[in-house]
Amino acid sequence: MRPARPAVALLLLLVLTAGVLVVAASMGQSWINPFHPADATSAAIYWQLRLPRVLTAFAVGGLLSVAGAGFQVMLQNPLAEPYVLGVAGSAAAGAVGCAALFPNVAWAMPAGAFVGASLGIGIVGLFASLGPVRLLLAGVVLAAFWAAVLALLLSLLPARELGRAFGWMLGDLSASPLSPTLLLVVLGISVLGGLAVSTSLDRLLLGEKQARALGIPVRRLHLGLLLGASAMTAVAVTAAGTIGFVGLVIPHMMRMLIGPMHRLLIPAAALAGGVLLVTADTAARTVVAPAELPVGVLTAMIGVPVFLALLVQRR
Amino acid sequence: MNRLAIEGMAVWRGGRRLVEDLHCDAASGSVTVILGPNGAGKSTLLQMLAGVLPGSHAHASWMGRHLGAYLRREWADVVSWQGPAAYADFGLRVDQRLHLAAGMSTGGEAERMLRELDVSGLMTRPLAQLSSGERQRVEVAAAMLRQTPVLLLDEPTAHLDLRHQAACLRLMRQQADVGGRVVLVVLHDVAQAAAVADQVVLLYGDGRSETGPVEAMMVPKRLQALYGTPMRAVEGVGLLPDFRRMA
Repeated sequence: MRPARPAVALLLLLVLTAGVLVVAASMGQSWINPFHPADATSAAIYWQLRLPRVLTAFAVGGLLSVAGAGFQVMLQNPLAEPYVLGVAGSAAAGAVGCAALFPNVAWAMPAGAFVGASLGIGIVGLFASLGPVRLLLAGVVLAAFWAAVLALLLSLLPARELGRAFGWMLGDLSASPLSPTLLLVVLGISVLGGLAVSTSLDRLLLGEKQARALGIPVRRLHLGLLLGASAMTAVAVTAAGTIGFVGLVIPHMMRMLIGPMHRLLIPAAALAGGVLLVTADTAARTVVAPAELPVGVLTAMIGVPVFLALLVQRR
Repeated sequence: MNRLAIEGMAVWRGGRRLVEDLHCDAASGSVTVILGPNGAGKSTLLQMLAGVLPGSHAHASWMGRHLGAYLRREWADVVSWQGPAAYADFGLRVDQRLHLAAGMSTGGEAERMLRELDVSGLMTRPLAQLSSGERQRVEVAAAMLRQTPVLLLDEPTAHLDLRHQAACLRLMRQQADVGGRVVLVVLHDVAQAAAVADQVVLLYGDGRSETGPVEAMMVPKRLQALYGTPMRAVEGVGLLPDFRRMA
């Protein structure tokens, strides 16, 4: 499979995105046509519940996917993803810690997640000057540390809080403290930022030394990538918990479809990450309605077969 | 005439001083070959000149201006560097790789160079699917395509078959003779070195170095000392390692 017409692929992706957003917002326990709602309640459900949730899912998926692409090129490692440097662990530890301290407060977990993610990024940032290989090692070790802290907190958590914590760790788009508008603005800024340095990112694909020989200030670019991608991850985690898989696999899927050049890859990753998470979340809230499945489970269940099919088809 | 002047430069790697007080004056239109045993600091020297090793400065100047006085962006317009290709497989194709180095250089000269290096037919192939020789040709082409006055090549003929070695050396010579570029190249084959060099730099790996015209440097006595292996001159061939006296 050859990425022959990347611009066409991007256009198709745009159409797909629009279609998925429209359909997903109408889907639920009952189908709602936003222009001819059955009654005022249906209209309210559409505009105040479903649409914000769909937009939140789209923005979070896009952020995770763009952050993943950033970490992969920065660390020169195809296995990198938004949580590779331990941000998921520190965010989860923060969320669970806060839930233990403020058991009945709705915003406790998102707020704790934000604090935890920022703390985790700050500590990893101290190792940024060591270069990608040792930074990655530092991140992996820190991830193990945060996993231990998380396990400690979970073992101390009252039983009735455990379910909430567990659900949050698998991703929960129903309780985002951040408005969809804000999330979409952050996603837009992230994509524009990525596009602004897209040529430098492309040259980073040739390795650090080649990039430097071509005049790229590699250290500054690395630091910018670390901070930018980490901030995107922190915002996504704050909004929706730790949703795995999107940030690892969507960038690779897009590279297979449209190639590795970042001018197209970054917008494509944003759209496709959003589409995957919207699809997964719509399935999560409709399959066993009125109950909900954890969305992180569904991203993997939808994404893995698609990714493996692409992997086999490519060679 | 423009010149790359190396003035009393030291090369360190891993806390060891491999070269001290290197002097070399490379003028545009000339080929300087750097010879030395493994680990003598040849690649490190090139990388310091290319400015790709963070935190180390080459004591060198271009057009009378010290390397440290150039911005990274400016220096990238002075020097092209070909070195060991070490990058993760993100699916980059040959044409994309060349484009990243040299922009859209599709002029007749570029076409000719790509044909000469036999890269034209590889354009749509992913880098990961190339053999090491094919990949090497792409890397050499990427460096040569960039229109910089200085060209630094680190073992450009490694992995190449005889035909492509010849094409590579011929192109290299043309870059100097026709293109008026300063060419600094690390080679391991003394016959190739003698065939292309105007000037030779010998790095002994213990701090000592010598720079001089090819006739003065490529003599059995010096090369024996350089490589620690007996050499002999063969009429019509040049210098060869002397295996007869090894046993």
